Amino acid sequence: MKTITLGTENAYKKRRKSAWKQLKNQKYLYYMSIPFVLWVFVFQYLPLWGWTMAFQKYKPGIGFFDQKWVGFEHFRTLFRDEHFYQVLRNTLAMSFMGLIAGFIVPVIFALLLNEVRVQSMKRFVQTVSYLPHFVSWVVAAGIVSKMLSTDGGVINDILLGLNIVDQPVQFMAQGHLFWGIVTGADIWKETGWNAIIYLAAISGIGPELYEAARVDGASRLRQMWHITLPGIRPTIIVLLIMSIGHLLGTGFEKQFLLGNHLVIDYSEVLDLYALNYGLAMGRYSFGTAINIFNSVISLMLLFAANGVFKRFTNESIM
Amino acid sequence: MKPEKKKFVVSSLVALTIASTLAGCSGNNGSTAGEGSNAEDSSSGTDLKPITLTYFSEDGSTNWNNMKDEVGKIITEKTGVTLDAEFAVGDPVQKISLIAATGNYPDLLAAKADVGKLVDAGAVIDLTDLIDKYAPNIKKMLGDKLVRTKYSLDDEAIYAIPTWSAVDEKKMKADGGFELQHRVVKEAGYPEIKTVKDYEKVIQDYIDKHPTDENGNKNIGLSLNGDDWHMYQVTNSGFQTTGGPDDGEYYIDQETHQATYHFRRPEEKEYFRWLNHMNDIGLLDPESFVQKTDQFKAKVASGRVLGLADPEWDYGDAQNALKAAGKFDQTYGHYPVTMSKEYKDTSFWPAGFDGGYGISISSKCKDPVRAIQFLDFLASEEGQIFNNWGIEGKHYTMENGKREVIPAVQQRMDNDNAAFQKESGVGLYWNMMVHYGDGIKDSTGNYFTRSFPEQLTASYSEPEKEALKAYGVDHWKELFPSEEEFKPRAYGAAYTMSLASDDPAVILGAKMKDITWKRIPEAVMAKPDQFDKIWDAYMKDLDKAGVKEMEEAYTKHVQNRIKLWSSK
Repeated sequence: MKTITLGTENAYKKRRKSAWKQLKNQKYLYYMSIPFVLWVFVFQYLPLWGWTMAFQKYKPGIGFFDQKWVGFEHFRTLFRDEHFYQVLRNTLAMSFMGLIAGFIVPVIFALLLNEVRVQSMKRFVQTVSYLPHFVSWVVAAGIVSKMLSTDGGVINDILLGLNIVDQPVQFMAQGHLFWGIVTGADIWKETGWNAIIYLAAISGIGPELYEAARVDGASRLRQMWHITLPGIRPTIIVLLIMSIGHLLGTGFEKQFLLGNHLVIDYSEVLDLYALNYGLAMGRYSFGTAINIFNSVISLMLLFAANGVFKRFTNESIM
Repeated sequence: MKPEKKKFVVSSLVALTIASTLAGCSGNNGSTAGEGSNAEDSSSGTDLKPITLTYFSEDGSTNWNNMKDEVGKIITEKTGVTLDAEFAVGDPVQKISLIAATGNYPDLLAAKADVGKLVDAGAVIDLTDLIDKYAPNIKKMLGDKLVRTKYSLDDEAIYAIPTWSAVDEKKMKADGGFELQHRVVKEAGYPEIKTVKDYEKVIQDYIDKHPTDENGNKNIGLSLNGDDWHMYQVTNSGFQTTGGPDDGEYYIDQETHQATYHFRRPEEKEYFRWLNHMNDIGLLDPESFVQKTDQFKAKVASGRVLGLADPEWDYGDAQNALKAAGKFDQTYGHYPVTMSKEYKDTSFWPAGFDGGYGISISSKCKDPVRAIQFLDFLASEEGQIFNNWGIEGKHYTMENGKREVIPAVQQRMDNDNAAFQKESGVGLYWNMMVHYGDGIKDSTGNYFTRSFPEQLTASYSEPEKEALKAYGVDHWKELFPSEEEFKPRAYGAAYTMSLASDDPAVILGAKMKDITWKRIPEAVMAKPDQFDKIWDAYMKDLDKAGVKEMEEAYTKHVQNRIKLWSSK
């Protein structure tokens, strides 16, 4: 019994010592990381102090200790508001749609693009496909709503021209189409860009694997399925886990810019809700409460996703 | 405020994504916060020592040129002040809230109706003494109206110098009501246009004859701009066509001063029913509630929109584009359209001088004295003429004691106003100064502003003159019921009242606004047989959200204002 304890203690000491040694060996690497750690601390952790606002009846202009503390009052208001659940539904719906589409389409696109043999063609397609990524959402939303317009919009012109519809479709005025439009716009804008990472991962797969497969008589589809896809699996999973962490924080630009009063029941997302009912009305505390909720849920989703993948695929980011 | 809590060490590939994600997030994190207070020497030796004052305004100023314009240079020369100005983009309320919360106040702030947020935060200072000591021109101009600038019954401080509404104004220019293109009324033979039915008929007749423009694009009967807060413009027509004065979102009984959320008046339901009907017969632009302001303006500028129900300041840019393209018969005239002849169009119902919107000096201002002196200079006769007329010899001439705009300048004003304003600065400073309204003469016997009858006439294009002549008037205003037909409102215009941010009228008001802005488009775009059902549901929503409580709170504010203003 005693010896065992001693043994583990020794092992522990040994390990500690070697950890110190390792630290010393790599000290330049650690020095180099200091600015980034500081950056993360200042910009990501210090602002967390502002969370205290959610538990106060915050008024600007007076000191921290003069604020009135109200406990979970704002959270109670939040969870009692019917509107909040609608907003949460919209956020989750658009996020999940965006997540699924935004993860499947770029993978397929990268696989297909990788099979293009003519180098110049491949380059050209790739460049064109990621161009929209560099266009800001303000402009992109303008393009999307012009395309879907009933007044000379391209999509409606095509639909009319092919006699699929006999009246221009009011795409932007129908709530139930809104989620689809947002997801579609997102795919158009981000597919090319997101595919870059997969393409990079694909190029890291050794050519000898393909050669071997060809010798064994594998068709190109088979090669894709048995070599390329497994080859980029770690990348796919890491990216997927990370985007799950972002589920609730998808931002609000798309919804803000593409939405209008007719589709507000489908377009309002958590961030917009915090903006309109928190900041714009001077209810700083309420706005903060919404964002805390947002962060906590994101964190939970992230850990859940990571746990699931760790269990089934042994891939993990933590 | 959206903390990122992810810190992973992953493969270098993924690091790339993180970098771009973080960069994306920091974009939303409101890096736009008022980075005011630049390190500037704050000691004020002589009066004209150069000083830069930071300024934020809730209203945009598209032609702002950082005071590098001709008038701006002279103002800087005369006062030593250069403004480092920022104008709100999008919804200004958010920006004011942000300014209040961060404590980064610019030196000067124009918060309009949201000044209450700044007062709550102690961000703005009481100007009573400053005006008394350093602002003779402002004092002289406001005179006994100074009482109307006081904040509230409980707090009789002056927090804003009223620079939005004109003093003693006799408006000469009609810029609201409903608008029709000159070619439309011409085609119809200039019929009387008083009711929505008249209005509808001329548009219908025109569109029957000319369904498309020369390029085969569809002509549009009536287009509305319902983008974001522009919904106010859409819904204001509700009281305008039913005899209510503009008191913001309320209808205020002139006898009892009881406030009603104006959508609850049965008369207004009929107005929105008419819009619904216009949509049903295809005269209303189906994109009215979908399009963004830019799209709306582009449409108007294409000349295909026959009718509008929008104030000129909103579609003015687009109309300028039409003028620049020489399409004068596709610019607009103003008509006093109401639901039926028993209602008077209330565009010219005077609000009296309503204190209200204006410029405040922040508690962090480097030099409040210089700031008030700057504002006082703008309020002087000299300052006003600079803004309204420009520079003598360059923009106007004085001949035999008569001030006249140089013809070449006038031409540029009419046809290329944006570029002209950007380089000359004429008219750019109107809401930074306490100013006289139209129809008031200065010490030389000339008008302070450029909109006086002769000048207005000179600015009309040929088709416009033709239309006016056919209606037997000199100016659009003469078509409207005149000021004298209305009793002045004891409370000014209710919408200029600034309320505390936690006031029930404010919090409930935001809820009502959301309901209204959702329900009105829904009701207008619905099939006519659905209209009543939607409207009933709308009214029920309002009741449920506490509209009565809100009305009571607001009524009290109106009555308090009357009390405050009648004090001395």
